[in-house]
Amino acid sequence: MIECLSCGRQQEPSLICAECGAPLAAPLDCFAALGLPRKLTIDLDALERRYHELSRKIHPDRFASSKPKVRDASVRATATLTRSYRTLRDPVSRGLYWLETNGEKLAENNKRVPPEVAELVFEVQEQLAEMQLASDPEVAVERATEIAARRVELQFTMDESLAALDRHFAKWDQPAADKKILTTELKTLLSNIAYLRTLIRDVDRALENAKAA
Amino acid sequence: MPRIFGIDLGTTNSLIAAMENGEPRVIAVGENASALLPSVVAIAPDGAVTVGERAIEMEPHLTVERDGRVSAVGFAGGEYGAVIRSVKRYMGLGGDEIAPEDRARYTFADLSGPVVRFQIGKRAFTPSQISAEILRALKDGAERAIGSGEKVERVVITVPAYFNDGQRQATKDAGRLAGLEVVRLVNEPTAASLAYGLNKMATGNVAVFDFGGGTFDISILSIKEGIFEVLATNGDTHLGGDDIDRAVVDWLLAEMPDTLKLDRHVWNSARMAAEDAKKRLTDVAETDVVVELPGHSIRKHLTRTALEEMAAPFIARTLKRCELAIADAKLKAGDIDAVVLVGGSTRMPVVRRRVAEMFHTEPLCSINPDQVVALGAAVQASVLMGTQGDMLLLDVVPLSLGIETMGGVMERLIHRNTTIPTSVTEGFTTAVDNQTHVDIHVLQGERELAKDCRSLARFKLGPIQAQPAGVPRIEVTFLIDANGILNVNARDERTGREHSVDVKPSYGLTDDEIERMLEEAIDLGEQDLEERLLISARNDADQILGALRKQLGEYGALVPAGEHARMNEVVERLEAARTGTDRELIAKLVEELNEVTTPFAERIMDAAIKLALEKKSVEELS
Repeated sequence: MIECLSCGRQQEPSLICAECGAPLAAPLDCFAALGLPRKLTIDLDALERRYHELSRKIHPDRFASSKPKVRDASVRATATLTRSYRTLRDPVSRGLYWLETNGEKLAENNKRVPPEVAELVFEVQEQLAEMQLASDPEVAVERATEIAARRVELQFTMDESLAALDRHFAKWDQPAADKKILTTELKTLLSNIAYLRTLIRDVDRALENAKAA
Repeated sequence: MPRIFGIDLGTTNSLIAAMENGEPRVIAVGENASALLPSVVAIAPDGAVTVGERAIEMEPHLTVERDGRVSAVGFAGGEYGAVIRSVKRYMGLGGDEIAPEDRARYTFADLSGPVVRFQIGKRAFTPSQISAEILRALKDGAERAIGSGEKVERVVITVPAYFNDGQRQATKDAGRLAGLEVVRLVNEPTAASLAYGLNKMATGNVAVFDFGGGTFDISILSIKEGIFEVLATNGDTHLGGDDIDRAVVDWLLAEMPDTLKLDRHVWNSARMAAEDAKKRLTDVAETDVVVELPGHSIRKHLTRTALEEMAAPFIARTLKRCELAIADAKLKAGDIDAVVLVGGSTRMPVVRRRVAEMFHTEPLCSINPDQVVALGAAVQASVLMGTQGDMLLLDVVPLSLGIETMGGVMERLIHRNTTIPTSVTEGFTTAVDNQTHVDIHVLQGERELAKDCRSLARFKLGPIQAQPAGVPRIEVTFLIDANGILNVNARDERTGREHSVDVKPSYGLTDDEIERMLEEAIDLGEQDLEERLLISARNDADQILGALRKQLGEYGALVPAGEHARMNEVVERLEAARTGTDRELIAKLVEELNEVTTPFAERIMDAAIKLALEKKSVEELS
């Protein structure tokens, strides 16, 4: 139970006081903050509308002339809302958050490249190295062109993986879901995506540098 | 509820605006009823402050006397008094962040401290104190212009979107020092989008290209049913029209010896000539630029094409920033439905061309680019007053925030372009047994290593009860408020007790320092204003008395005896009042003297015209 700093009413935690509509700085999980059921499949348009609707009610700009403690509650409530929205909006961070709230996390010490993307990762890294070490500018340009083509391929794989993640989310929401199997599957998907993200970032940086040189 | 005013505290000019009958309007605070107050502050050796047009006149420069002699005038800096221009560039900077060319331009007090201080006369002034003078001039000017006794007390102040925490804090400090309650800091490009009433556009993506005198910002916004959501922002707080002026100055003075180039009078004269030429070239294709020096004058011919070449590298930098912002917003240039131009530098035709090419759309520029930010600030002020319906601004933090971890690595806790307010809570523990304090170093920036990021603050957590290493758990919450300013608090997870966190900002002023300055300002504040008004009244008196004396010498024969006696009587009273401190009396007598001398002035004018005509006919005859 939490107490509204504006009207004093005791109530279940939420971002808005049920009595007077003042913002409440309640500690809430991301789903609860947005008033959503704990489900991984989320309609992004509806999520955005919900976020905007709540922002209009609790944003500090609505309480510029209120008492300091109400203003403070509004800042903290909005901070919770914003973080929750950003976490849920992005499927990858939503998946990571799901793992975390289920007491799991992607093993940080597991540096093994996931087999599903291993081949792609090694090939691209080799090409990057060749381009960076090339003493002949013509060879460097050649490699850069190859890598630029690879960039398209990487993006395609990334899109595929994100689509797979979306399909995976739907499985969790089935009534007879086997949590153990799904957790392993989710971890695999997320670590593949994490590898691809890093690789795409490296490729973009390398191409940027090559362009500058 | 009292009105909240919107202030654009600009690098080159500052403005104040407010809502009137539902529309944002700028308030004429400058001389000759202009809304633009030049952000120029002159401080005399004795500490007397002048802001705006009159301060520009006191800038060190060369002037051609009537006899053709060129002489150096103005406050040359340091003990001679100084004129500070573009103080915004120095906001939030530490002494070690001052560029060498700035050191040639101004006299700084101590460059080792966490805050830059200008040494003027016997005193040292922080950029926040100088900015406070501009804010005070806006406040006084607006109160005078409104004239109904309404006070300017609560304000919204705009800042470049790319301002870091320290620069924002320094701006807020300036407000406090000027005796204002800064209800909110708003990012300039975001404010500009509010001024354009783009909320009437149901849905769409907008880019705001803000190229001012000293700073460049690009913001990408998504607008949906009155919600202005900033998707990404980028910029450079040290890139603006001033840089183009400097490039022109370098070209103007290229053949001059270094000693002359570094002379503050010469440099400023060249800068003024460069700026004027740049402005002229918006409308004409070529122009002459002239700088008068003692015994010599520089005259060069400048074409718009040549100016555009000089400006090209700076414009290229702005476009690079645009690309980054568009990518961060996860959009393509073609997804932008409208582009808004802000800032004086967007008047340059080449800037408009470049922006149109980049976004494949003609930019919007129907609102005066010098006023659009202030007007937007007034709209945001009315949002804060609750009189703008459902309209709401969701802005972002421009730079990532993190902490220094083992090995000097920056661990990012809040990523750039995260919507604010936002917070993150991080657990900390001890590394050795019985450790009683944990040191935390907060950083801002995008680089991997702590040393390459900007230090924001350091603080000590504790005292922590003596326990084995790793046992204590302290939760620290880093909260960025709607102004983009960091707040920190800490809680001992085991005892649930809130720790007081004594955050020591790496740059900027501590609360105690502000309090002290505030106390000084309160003592001096009222007196300052009175004194300034008195000085200005005395100047007016001197001017009219001097002019009259001169005219009487030349045209005394045109004054009948009775009129002369009346004039003398007022002159004597004014001379007596001038030595006193009653400024209202001085002002009244100046007006009276003006009245009694009007017929005389008219006769002088007639005589002068007659004389000119006679001369002309003599010339024509011969």
